[in-house]
Amino acid sequence: MFRENFCLCRGLWTLTLAVVGSGILLSPAAFAEPVDFSRDIQPLFAKRCFSCHGPDTQEAGLRLDQIAGATAALDSGSRAIVPGKTAESEILARITSSDPNTQMPPEGPRLTAAQVDAITRWVDEGAEWKEHWAFRPLTRPVVPAAADAGGDAANPIDAFILAGLAQRGLSAPPQADKTALIRRATYGITGLPPTEQEVRDFLADDSAAAWEKVVDRLLASPRYGEQWGRHWLDLVRYADTNSFERDGNKPHAWRYRDYVIRSLNDDKPYDQFVIEQLAGDELPEPTNDAFIATGYYRLGVWDDEPADREQFRYDWLDDIVATTGQVFLGLTVNCARCHDHKIDPIPQRDYYSMLSFFDNITPMGNGGDQIERPLFRDDADRQAYEEKVADLNRRRNEAQRAVNEIEKKFRDSWESPNQADAVGGDLDDLTFRFYRDSWKSLPVFDELKAEDTGSVLSQLFDIAVAPSLRPDNFGYVFTGFLKVPMDGDYTFSLDSDDGSRLTIDGSVVAEYDGIHGEGKPKSATLRLQAGRLPIRLDYFQGQHGKGLTVAWSGPGFGARTLSALQSRRKAAGKDSDLKKAIAADGERILGTDGKKHYDEKVKVLEKLKKEEVPVDKGLVVTERGPTPADTFVFYRGNPHAEKKPENKVSPAFLSILKAKEPVIPTPAADAKTSGRRTALARWLVSSDNPLPARVMANRIWQHHFGRGIVRSTSNFGMMGDPPTHPELLDWLATELIAGNWRLKSLHKLILLSQAYRAAATYKEEAFAHAEALKVDPLNDSFWRFDMRRLSAEELRDSIHVASGAFSPKMFGPGVYPTIPKEVMAGQSKPGAGWGDSSSEEQARRSVYAFVKRSLITPILADFDLADTDTSCPVRFTTTQPTQALGMLNGEFLHRQARVFAERVRREAGGPDAADVPAQVRRALEIALVRPATDAEVERGVALVDRLDDADGVSPSRAMELFCLMVLNLNEFAYLD
Amino acid sequence: MPSSHDHRHGQFCHRTRREFFWEAGASFTGLALSGLLDQGFFARHGYAAGQGGATDTPFANPLAAKPPHFAPKAKSVIFLFMYGGPSQVDTFDYKPKLYGLDGQTIEVKTKGRGGEKSQGRVVGPKWKFKQYGQCGKWVSDLFPHIATHVDDIAFIHSMTADSPIHGSAMLQMNSGKIQSGAPCLGSWVNYGLGSVNENMPGFVVMLDPTGGPISGAKNWSSGYMPATYQGTLLRSKGSPILDLAPPDDMPLEAQRTMLDALREANTAHLLSRGDNSELAARIASYELAWKMQEHAPEAVDLASETEETKTLYGLENPRTADFGRRCLLARRLVERGVRFVQLYSGGAHNDDNWDAHSDMEKNHNFHAGNTDQPVAALLTDLKRSGLLDSTLVIWGGEFGRQPTAEYAEGTGRDHNSFGFTMWMAGGGIKGGVSVGETDELGSAAISPGPGHGNGDKPGFHVKSLHATVLHQLGFDPNRLSYFFGGLDQKLVGVEHVEPIREVLA
Repeated sequence: MFRENFCLCRGLWTLTLAVVGSGILLSPAAFAEPVDFSRDIQPLFAKRCFSCHGPDTQEAGLRLDQIAGATAALDSGSRAIVPGKTAESEILARITSSDPNTQMPPEGPRLTAAQVDAITRWVDEGAEWKEHWAFRPLTRPVVPAAADAGGDAANPIDAFILAGLAQRGLSAPPQADKTALIRRATYGITGLPPTEQEVRDFLADDSAAAWEKVVDRLLASPRYGEQWGRHWLDLVRYADTNSFERDGNKPHAWRYRDYVIRSLNDDKPYDQFVIEQLAGDELPEPTNDAFIATGYYRLGVWDDEPADREQFRYDWLDDIVATTGQVFLGLTVNCARCHDHKIDPIPQRDYYSMLSFFDNITPMGNGGDQIERPLFRDDADRQAYEEKVADLNRRRNEAQRAVNEIEKKFRDSWESPNQADAVGGDLDDLTFRFYRDSWKSLPVFDELKAEDTGSVLSQLFDIAVAPSLRPDNFGYVFTGFLKVPMDGDYTFSLDSDDGSRLTIDGSVVAEYDGIHGEGKPKSATLRLQAGRLPIRLDYFQGQHGKGLTVAWSGPGFGARTLSALQSRRKAAGKDSDLKKAIAADGERILGTDGKKHYDEKVKVLEKLKKEEVPVDKGLVVTERGPTPADTFVFYRGNPHAEKKPENKVSPAFLSILKAKEPVIPTPAADAKTSGRRTALARWLVSSDNPLPARVMANRIWQHHFGRGIVRSTSNFGMMGDPPTHPELLDWLATELIAGNWRLKSLHKLILLSQAYRAAATYKEEAFAHAEALKVDPLNDSFWRFDMRRLSAEELRDSIHVASGAFSPKMFGPGVYPTIPKEVMAGQSKPGAGWGDSSSEEQARRSVYAFVKRSLITPILADFDLADTDTSCPVRFTTTQPTQALGMLNGEFLHRQARVFAERVRREAGGPDAADVPAQVRRALEIALVRPATDAEVERGVALVDRLDDADGVSPSRAMELFCLMVLNLNEFAYLD
Repeated sequence: MPSSHDHRHGQFCHRTRREFFWEAGASFTGLALSGLLDQGFFARHGYAAGQGGATDTPFANPLAAKPPHFAPKAKSVIFLFMYGGPSQVDTFDYKPKLYGLDGQTIEVKTKGRGGEKSQGRVVGPKWKFKQYGQCGKWVSDLFPHIATHVDDIAFIHSMTADSPIHGSAMLQMNSGKIQSGAPCLGSWVNYGLGSVNENMPGFVVMLDPTGGPISGAKNWSSGYMPATYQGTLLRSKGSPILDLAPPDDMPLEAQRTMLDALREANTAHLLSRGDNSELAARIASYELAWKMQEHAPEAVDLASETEETKTLYGLENPRTADFGRRCLLARRLVERGVRFVQLYSGGAHNDDNWDAHSDMEKNHNFHAGNTDQPVAALLTDLKRSGLLDSTLVIWGGEFGRQPTAEYAEGTGRDHNSFGFTMWMAGGGIKGGVSVGETDELGSAAISPGPGHGNGDKPGFHVKSLHATVLHQLGFDPNRLSYFFGGLDQKLVGVEHVEPIREVLA
């Protein structure tokens, strides 16, 4: 199958892959039928005309995407289309002209005779213009009567399918045999083969409900969520890393993957599933799942070191707009970033209005609270956690006070010629983050990736501390704790070249931002309580002079520096001066017992500092606050374009869908988010919006039948493929909504249809098969069930199932399959970012394999895993010799073939362990989940004999190679 | 042994083996498997081959050779990727004024890893330049061998890129976009042209012995295109391609026997599924794999090369042996029809590649010394065999370097995407020309004026280099497109981009 309709590109360039049925979409009008504007005319106009005569450009004054423009007088005075009058319609003259100066389209192949005929007939018949099918309101179509359907149709799906078949003069397809059917459905629902017992049970069950029982069992299987979850993960371009140079890990991304699997297994209504992912955090009482679901916004690629931050921010938001538009609406809204959409009626303004729903989202930045959130089972769990944290802080403060007290005593009595230099005892656990870039004022460092991080052992704000220091264009964030000796008023002074900001216990104490020299310190006085208070200092340096001077004074002490002294910088040692002084003079000043007492108190404190309150975390969305900045339409999509007031947009839904203005309640002043995403999510699943139900019903159909009713499952626009069964699609969409958006009932309805149970292969019906192939080579009418190859994951998992190594363990952090060192060699640091997993862990389902964007597990990549960087609605199915090389020679296959052979030897039973025929039979039964024929066994035994006899392979190795051969069979890799 | 040996002389043995061998030897892009496809049945019942594309092409090889838009000048590309960013003012962009400014702090706008600066301390070029060839091209002492080929080379001195940061700049030089997820130049070439040798991958990447470039496989990814078009890593020693060699405990004889049995079983399976081209294609793909196994190792076997050739490439010199070997392999691959060969000079991080942040001389002497003779040998060898006419050779990194120092001390230079040098030779490129200029410091492009993929700024954008490559291969770069995400995606992007006409012969 192809992803999108990629072979429909303009011009000469078509790509033919080996695909089931065919690689090329042919003109659908191979049979005489009335012209259908939506199916025959509009897609043709969209593909061949709109780029010059569409929503964005109207050359010669012609606009072919709406009737008014198409029938209006042109610049030349003539009219492109005059309904009912072919002779007066200029378009017909142009598309049939042989004059290169006037013929249309001017580039690419000429329209085919069939296409010209369709346009001619359509004009002749009155040029009826219908709204594009996807934008029409969703109404429930009438199910065709049994007579029209040409037979008995208990299931409404079959009524639609049979009516379509009858229209083409085709009859109802023969049904697949039970073995093929249970294999098809088990893979389709769970992604795994049926067990031999399951097949036997089904074959033995002659009851009328036998099939329904199988379907119910499959839909109740936890394997269902893993298989269908993977389909969803393809759409949202799930990965565990960010791509680009560092390809760093996304913390806790796997919880989003598990959330998807659980949601599907729980048959969570799709509307709730959508709302949770887009705005779960804004729900009235968000659950953990609702927060984890918002990890949706964190799944894309992320450049932590962009050349142009503003450009990257909008590239990143574009990725969110593109993904959201395609996944939920089936529209390529992203095509309207730089100009009005060339094909679909989506003005550029609509793009930015949609973007404004997301414009307040914080970037990935450094991780931390911006993207991570603690997860609690319930309120009690949260309270317990918060109490533990509060208790720990209380104990730390207490211990700190004890230490501070003794240190104060020491300072008060300590006399030293170097006392003025004895600095650095007032901060604790100081760490730095070092950044490089050019700024004019302090950036939001938390949104940026630090180049360097580490501890500041001198416990002083020291702008020379980073190992990768450079003279200009850098920044620091220092964080640590201020040791407050007693309750009282303290005065802080801050001076810097260039900007700086001092924050204590979450409040800004002093700020001295911008480009300037030193000499005008800012100061502030505030009341503090004794203990340990979080302190933070932000600093940036542009060019030329630099410096940072921070000091404080308080009860009983004059100004003491908190920053490194210029003069002392090189001497800054491994400890703070105070610590060194106490080590040297502590016993003298505090007495032996006093010093001992002090050491004990320090020890207590250090122990408490190491104590942690463990908590699980999720990867989540956050916003910059309740009030978003304004969003503007950018001229030609350039984020550096002038932000003119007339280009300001506010959140709005796509105008083509004629939705009401979004209602976004003004958030409370202390709200964490704007509420915009909730408005978007609710509109997506509201009854006003015909697209999401159509899009989702179509995706469900797609994964059962190998293609959607609309083949371009993420493009319902005019460049997409028209539905082969528009009424069926709308019926399924209304059914989805009527069933409270639950997917499992829709699955069941589909699986119980005759259409789903149709045979893929032909036997005695070969004649009818050939006839149908002639009438409908692309199987547009579902006259048979299309065979399909296993997906990459299904293939790898099936190999594990056959070998017996398969582990059904669900959920948790990603698993690392062994990657050959030749592949690792492509990394700049071979092996970096990849872990070791036991062979047992590796035998878990592939959906649990860690997805590292720059290092994809070879067998999965070979068999067309979804691209990790962009939303993938339909996977490729390529057939290439490199796949065969991996399957024949690869480490993974040979390892599994050995494990498989051991299993076969074990299970072949019989008194004689080397009973080759029994082993051959067993291997075939296991892998193909059907009885082996005597002829097959005979051929297998002959192969083993020959390997052993003529090719000099040991008998046990010969059986391994036989097992390897079985895993390579087309029958193993393909479903009927 | 037990009873299994009773089957030794069963029907399978010795009956089908030779027949299968015979069929396996036939061409697989054509109708090799037609005998297996039950076509007679469809013919008898009036199904005309070709209607659905289902039965007429059993293996619709997506890499089958395809004609370009117009008659091409080049058939293959060898991209010598100087990863890390060589300094233009120390190599091919002669800036005599810069020597005298050494150590002086001057006003100059730069942007690199160390952010934006408006002034900096000049680091004078560390090598002398001499004039070479009929064209009188100035080349630094770093490249005495390449310098002898200047009359075959077109230098582009005002290249620009959108990013001075390795990660995104590498992506752009390879895929045109600074964002992750787009197909690489080699993928586009194979998508457009296919391959004339089905025994070899069409897009081959050979890495530096120190490791891959940063972002690894993203640099040869096919992005949103099928994996068919992604680059294949080729090792210059041992088994060249992953999984090409069967493991030791599967002798070729045994593998062949197994393949025959596999084919027999798959053929039986094909009955009653005869119109499924994918099944037939998969059968064919195993025979193709067999042929690759046989023929691909030959491509990397240098036994048939003369001593003179090996010496030419510097294979006897430990400094040049590795890159020389890879350059020689590049010629052999091109001879065998591989469309796009990419060689990395430099790998991993820091001074393992051309990223000279601290000491220009140490870094560039090392990397130029490893590659100068091999690159020159490649040009010599391609020329004398006539291959240079149809082989486009590209030399350059993801960006260049600044004329000023990065740190307070030392001679290191920071990244520079405002202006840098690349060169091309062969494949219909005019020799002995230099196009585009940087300012007198070599810090930024000043000519040609706007209109070369650069918006309103001067210089030749990476896009115009890509357009030139596609043009030489016979494509209109603004028409070679791939429909994805609702758009006709192009390597050169949405805006119209011209090839660099000044370098076309």
